[in-house]
Amino acid sequence: MEETVITSLPRRKRFSLGSLFTKKDIPFAIGCPALVWHSLFFYLPLLIMILSSVFDLSESGSFQGFTLKHFLAVQNVAHFRIIFKSIGIAFLTAILCFVIAFPCAYFLAFKGGRYKTLLLFFLIVPFWTNFLLHVCAWFFVLERNGFLNNLLLSLNLIGEPIHFLNSFFAIILMMVYHYLLFMILPIYSSLEKFNLFLFEASSDLGATKLQTFKRILLPLTLPAIRLGFLLVYIPAFGEFVIPELMGGDKAYYAGNVVSQYVLGNYTAPLGAAFTLMGACILMVSIGLLLWIFKRISKSLGGLSV
Amino acid sequence: MLYSKVKSFSAVTNFSIVLLTFLFLYTPIVVLFIFSFNSKAFPAPWDSFTLYWYHELFQSTELWLSFKNSLIVATLSTLLSLTMGMLLIFFRTSGGNIHKFLPMFYGTLVIPETVLAVSLLAFFSLFSIPLGLPTIVASHTVLGLGFVIPVVYTRYLELDPKLQEASLILGASPTQTFFRITLPLLRPALLATGLLIFIISFDDFILTYFCSGTAFQTLSIYLFTTIRSGISPIVNALSVFLLALTSLLVMCFFSPKIRTRIF
Amino acid sequence: MTKNKDTLRSIKLVNLSKSIGEASVINQVNLHIPSGEFFALLGPSGCGKTTLLRLIAGFENANSGKIYLGNTDITDLPPHKRSVNIVFQNYALFPHLNVFDNVAYSLVVQKKGKEEIEKRVLKILKAFHIEEHIFKFPAQLSGGQQQRVALARAIINEPDVLLLDEPLAALDFKLREKMLIELIELQDKLKTTFIYVTHDQFEALTLADHMAIMNHAGDIEQIGTPKEIYEFPISSFVAKFVGTTNILQGTLHNLDAEPFMETPNLGKFHIDIPHKKAWMYEGCDMSMSIRPEKIFISKKPVQNFSNTLRGIVSSIVYHGRSTQYNLLLQDQTKLQVFEQNEEHFPQETIDYDDEVYLYWQKENVVLLEK
Repeated sequence: MEETVITSLPRRKRFSLGSLFTKKDIPFAIGCPALVWHSLFFYLPLLIMILSSVFDLSESGSFQGFTLKHFLAVQNVAHFRIIFKSIGIAFLTAILCFVIAFPCAYFLAFKGGRYKTLLLFFLIVPFWTNFLLHVCAWFFVLERNGFLNNLLLSLNLIGEPIHFLNSFFAIILMMVYHYLLFMILPIYSSLEKFNLFLFEASSDLGATKLQTFKRILLPLTLPAIRLGFLLVYIPAFGEFVIPELMGGDKAYYAGNVVSQYVLGNYTAPLGAAFTLMGACILMVSIGLLLWIFKRISKSLGGLSV
Repeated sequence: MLYSKVKSFSAVTNFSIVLLTFLFLYTPIVVLFIFSFNSKAFPAPWDSFTLYWYHELFQSTELWLSFKNSLIVATLSTLLSLTMGMLLIFFRTSGGNIHKFLPMFYGTLVIPETVLAVSLLAFFSLFSIPLGLPTIVASHTVLGLGFVIPVVYTRYLELDPKLQEASLILGASPTQTFFRITLPLLRPALLATGLLIFIISFDDFILTYFCSGTAFQTLSIYLFTTIRSGISPIVNALSVFLLALTSLLVMCFFSPKIRTRIF
Repeated sequence: MTKNKDTLRSIKLVNLSKSIGEASVINQVNLHIPSGEFFALLGPSGCGKTTLLRLIAGFENANSGKIYLGNTDITDLPPHKRSVNIVFQNYALFPHLNVFDNVAYSLVVQKKGKEEIEKRVLKILKAFHIEEHIFKFPAQLSGGQQQRVALARAIINEPDVLLLDEPLAALDFKLREKMLIELIELQDKLKTTFIYVTHDQFEALTLADHMAIMNHAGDIEQIGTPKEIYEFPISSFVAKFVGTTNILQGTLHNLDAEPFMETPNLGKFHIDIPHKKAWMYEGCDMSMSIRPEKIFISKKPVQNFSNTLRGIVSSIVYHGRSTQYNLLLQDQTKLQVFEQNEEHFPQETIDYDDEVYLYWQKENVVLLEK
């Protein structure tokens, strides 16, 4: 080369993947507090909880060593029954939510027209009130001297007030009320993106409305349905406030067990062991659910979920 | 002929399901609303119109204290989550690569809140951290991050990378690009996510119940203890008040005028 | 970044290589683009020409090699420090800024004064005839208008080099023709070095002072003026990629006296060898490239042509200015001929399935290594 190089400017510092693994790398730590925070306050606590389930605590609460006795202690029929009850109720809630949410989302997305967003807004507003206020509100309606009973009595439809509260019915009602939106939103969002031309093309090719629904609508919205299902199912499993408030003393679910153990004296490791056991069973059930969804999507043919 | 009958039947059932749903959703609220003006305490039937409970509402110091606490927690958690999310994006625009760590943030969606609450409690007690405002904010921020990163960061990845490249080549440093191009383009997602986190934090019960200890009380905890001991119409008044407040906020947020200014 | 026009605005790539993962995109590329030229980089889709552009811009880092802007080594310089701007294929206008703010962007980030910015932006908008859209947002503009805004934005801070990545691809035909002329005039006026990347040979031939052809492997096959590249391609890839051509294959004979090419089925063809090339030796394999417009077609035999062939017309395509004849030769080889439609009522009309004579002069042929 004839020309001489006059300047050579400093190399721009590039972060390579290698530097990410040394937490001592200061710029990284400053730039990624999110990672640090999450590791510290999410993964570390989880790890600690998992570990604490094998801690042996003495009478005064001091650490003695490792043991598996907590796991043995929580493995009895009563506990398993509670866990499976929780799974059942979570599943039931999810199914009910789906049955209600799908027609609503369908109506909103396709028949809503100009008022689509407005209707969605009105659908969401109840969920912006505090969850406990929902409970208060339903208490009001369902109590023995409450609104519904008074209404039915005055209309002479019933002779005596019905015990709505402190029942399985009340729990389910409240659960569905609480989680409905989580099922509606993903399904609505998925339906809204739908290209209506797909329907036209389908009927053009001679399919009836039911066939269109089965072959086109369902497979394409299946991912959203699955998401909604999980968004309801997983939190519902751990729910303990609703059963406690709406179900009375008889209602005893997984969440209640956990809260009782964990907040009690020295029973924390039991709580951890129980939580782990419950979480494992939950994971298995989720795996089963996902497998079911896969089978459904395969039987409908076409896109894999 | 039959086809159209079937068609209209399904349309009618569809509509009626939607109608029933709305009825289901709004009945307790409407009832609460009406009876907040009842002069006799619950569970007595309707007596006469009064604003007494609203008066009582604004007098109850304990309630307002817990309300204020909830606001503080929600605001702090939202700000922390959003800031950390933005820092992460800034890191990325300066050339860092954290793609492999992204799935880490989806953990909060998979774990029931109870499990998280129990873990955090174990964590706090192990390190003898006293429970109170800092611990609640810390835990709510974890929830918040679980939303910010999946929503905002994925939105960021959907942005046309050429926009940032255009900014760079026109002479803007990565920092300038971040503040002039990336951030404004992410503003809708940031605002929507911020609102979501705020509401989730404000409403949160389970995490707060486990991690707040006895000294610090948020609105959710206050209501929980109140329900147990019997509800007074003050709670009615409170729910109406909160509902009006949130509806107003959301309506402002969604009104076309303000929308064009923010978006 | 100095705006001094005395600074050399040339681009020099020295042994530049870039691979993505295992695959090598460009390999040991050497290229010198003189200052103030309109340079075109032509190649098929996926050949690596956009990668080359991005390396010059600084969006990618090369695995090895160096890039010089004038006398300055800019290889390790980040994009915002290079005096290089780019016009993207999709324009990449900032959607949240109006036209004024988009165009003013490079000046604003340099913290220039408000009055100066206003003056310069207005001046350039007027020059591009888009001043009436000044407060509109990109979504409200048509494709052609967006393209002008992108161009204005890229040249307002007077870069040394302007990169253009197929900027006319999204425009319709008439608009594209108009923009081509405007681009040539713009470059003439600014004297900025333009590097224009495209897969459309028509654009490249029209715009460029010099051009380079890249092949699928990411190597530069030939550099030269459009005329050199078109008339004297140095490989069959270039001959086939730029314009259309007919390739006949055979063996070279009589190198030093009266050379000819011997073909298996079509006989001998007289050829000219003005400069003997290294690959040429007696009996070697070779190809012959003849452009369709250099072949004459007639139903009757004609004298005074060095080479003749006979064929049958298999299809005729009317192109307005010219007519394309597709022919089938004796050995089933296909040949293309373009004939200019010089007259409204030509003396001879050629139809499907006609048996015709094809003629060309030996000087109008390009000899290529097999």
